[in-house]
Amino acid sequence: MIEYRDVSVLRGGTAILDRVTLRIGKGERVAYLGRSGAGKTTALKVINGLIAPSSGDVVVDGTSIAQHALPELRRRIGYVLQQPALFPHRNVLDNIATVPRLLQWPEERIRAESERLLEQLELPPATFGARFPRMLSGGQQQRVAIARALIAHPEIVLCDEPFSALDPLIRAELQTLFRNATRDRAATTLVFVTHDVREALRIAERVIVFDAGRVVADTPADAFMNHQHPLVRRFVEA
Amino acid sequence: MSELLQLTGQHLLIVAIAVTIAIAAGVPLGTFAHRRRRLGGIALRITDVVQTIPSLAMFGFLIPLPLIGGIGARPAIVALVLYSLLPIVRSTLVGLDRVDANVREAATAMGMTDRQLLWGVELPLATPAIVAGIRIASVTAIGVATIAAAVGGGGLGTLIFRGVSMVDTRLILSGALPAALLAIAADLVLTQVERYFARRRGES
Amino acid sequence: MNRRTFCLLLSALCLLPSSCHREHRPITVGSKNFTESVILGELLAQKLEAAGCPVERRLNMGGTFVCDTAIRAGSIDAYVEYSGTALTAILKQPSTSDRARVDALVRDAYAKRGLVWSPPLGFNNTFAMIVRRADAQRHGMRTISDLAKVAATYRPGFGYEFTERPDGWPGLQRAYGLQFAHAPRTMDLGLTYKALAAGEVDLIAGNSTDGLIDSLGLIVLDDDKHFFPPYDAVVVQRTGLESRCSSALASLRNTIDDATMRRLNYEVDGKKRAVADVVRELKLR
Repeated sequence: MIEYRDVSVLRGGTAILDRVTLRIGKGERVAYLGRSGAGKTTALKVINGLIAPSSGDVVVDGTSIAQHALPELRRRIGYVLQQPALFPHRNVLDNIATVPRLLQWPEERIRAESERLLEQLELPPATFGARFPRMLSGGQQQRVAIARALIAHPEIVLCDEPFSALDPLIRAELQTLFRNATRDRAATTLVFVTHDVREALRIAERVIVFDAGRVVADTPADAFMNHQHPLVRRFVEA
Repeated sequence: MSELLQLTGQHLLIVAIAVTIAIAAGVPLGTFAHRRRRLGGIALRITDVVQTIPSLAMFGFLIPLPLIGGIGARPAIVALVLYSLLPIVRSTLVGLDRVDANVREAATAMGMTDRQLLWGVELPLATPAIVAGIRIASVTAIGVATIAAAVGGGGLGTLIFRGVSMVDTRLILSGALPAALLAIAADLVLTQVERYFARRRGES
Repeated sequence: MNRRTFCLLLSALCLLPSSCHREHRPITVGSKNFTESVILGELLAQKLEAAGCPVERRLNMGGTFVCDTAIRAGSIDAYVEYSGTALTAILKQPSTSDRARVDALVRDAYAKRGLVWSPPLGFNNTFAMIVRRADAQRHGMRTISDLAKVAATYRPGFGYEFTERPDGWPGLQRAYGLQFAHAPRTMDLGLTYKALAAGEVDLIAGNSTDGLIDSLGLIVLDDDKHFFPPYDAVVVQRTGLESRCSSALASLRNTIDDATMRRLNYEVDGKKRAVADVVRELKLR
């Protein structure tokens, strides 16, 4: 589904990504783990073309990123950032309806699916549907952002540390909600960036560790704790 | 009294026409400046220079020009458009710049085209700033429009100039006070409009 | 500097005004803000300088009332005024076409205001109601009374003074029984000729000595009811000017006739020459 072929991203002489080669299959749930500045966010953003590789090729669903019509591709990819980044001038339901409207879904379908997702994320639509983002707490906003990313049944879901700005209790709650919301979409490929080991192990089946722009470990989640790479050991011990 | 009403009407008319044209030209220009930084920078520099030309000089430059010049309301409107452009272009640019980078990134990542991003997200969020620019342009235009009388453009400046030539304070004030009141009223009304848009954009 | 020197300097400074004769203080010459007035102001200035009186020029000041206020306040010492204007607009007396009476009335009134009404320069510059020659032929207009034929359609365009003055538009309409449908457009006086030539307005109030009348294909309508008083150009000066300077001004008496003034105006307005040059070349009789 997603393939990195010797991908490098250079910024001002430094290699943010250094000759990364990876393959992620359809339906896989992968965590990108690493310290700040290790390149994991960049590795995420080359998938939906927010960042272009300086060399090498990223292939999504059989076609190189360079050949894809990016707006069309992105409507098949859900994206959740660290900040909820909801549209302040639209209410909750309108925010969630963004991609479905781009895809020209009928309004009744949009409404039905939005309400279902909101229920699943424990935001009763009757109470929250018409509210504006400024009236919601950080955790509530992030839940809406998740709904917004998932509603159009994307084939790929990309998350860039979506819970790291929230307090630990809310974080745990949202990890559960997120895992449940994405669990019943078996064919969805998930790439989840985090610097939190526990979060990675809760949400993903496969953990890829980045350090200084390179992949230093690539292991199934249940084998992570026993992995011998020194950086992995440091993560485990922390 | 009826002359005062007629002149006030003339005054408001040339301001309204000029500001409308300035909005129609200025918002696209500001958007362009936002998208193409370098060319946009040049456009901004030009409107900046235009703004520094003293208004009477501007009216004077325009008189001999063939299409847009002459005497009367036409050169007055052209001059007012030129003066109103800078606040509107600048405020459009600033308004677009201030859109949260994360919101922009999310919109792009969701698959909005550049045009959908502009119309669906950036311009709506920049609207309060743009309206602020329109407010400044309008208030300025009401003041500058008093000079229109020097080139036969009518408006409240007529009373001011007639009063100055006769050293008749009452006559001067009969033009200057309504002009000042118009400017204040425009400021108040447009501030309310600005606030309305800020509320609707979820910013209060 | 010690105290003694300081005191000496201070007292010297205090003595200065009283020991300072008018001859050291420049004479300020003003003018109104249209071409003819600027030319005449420059004429006064050059005449004074030729006689050895230093001059400060404040030409193109403003309108009639600005100049009048200035000379009464002492901001200027001399400028050229017109007898009819002084009578009706400044002194607010009823208009009359008796030339001698106008002169006498104004001279006395000015004397009471501390001003000298003299010398007359020798020409009369009355308001000229001007239309395009082609229009005049089409409607058969020769006099101001003929304007009644076009009162419904014609758009007047005047400078600021003519619109407001009692000897201007309001008085003229009343005297001739005219009722123009369009209110006059007002603009800078100099622009009214342009506006008339361009067809933006149909009737203007120019000056009979203006230089551009012939060259722009315009004609002056005859004041058949003699509404306008005489407008003889006269130098107005403050009393107490140094005698050398006052004589220099007096030597200008009757040195310029209507034709000469018109020619001078044309040199500046039509041929776009500098006022100072045109005045310098002038050989007075």
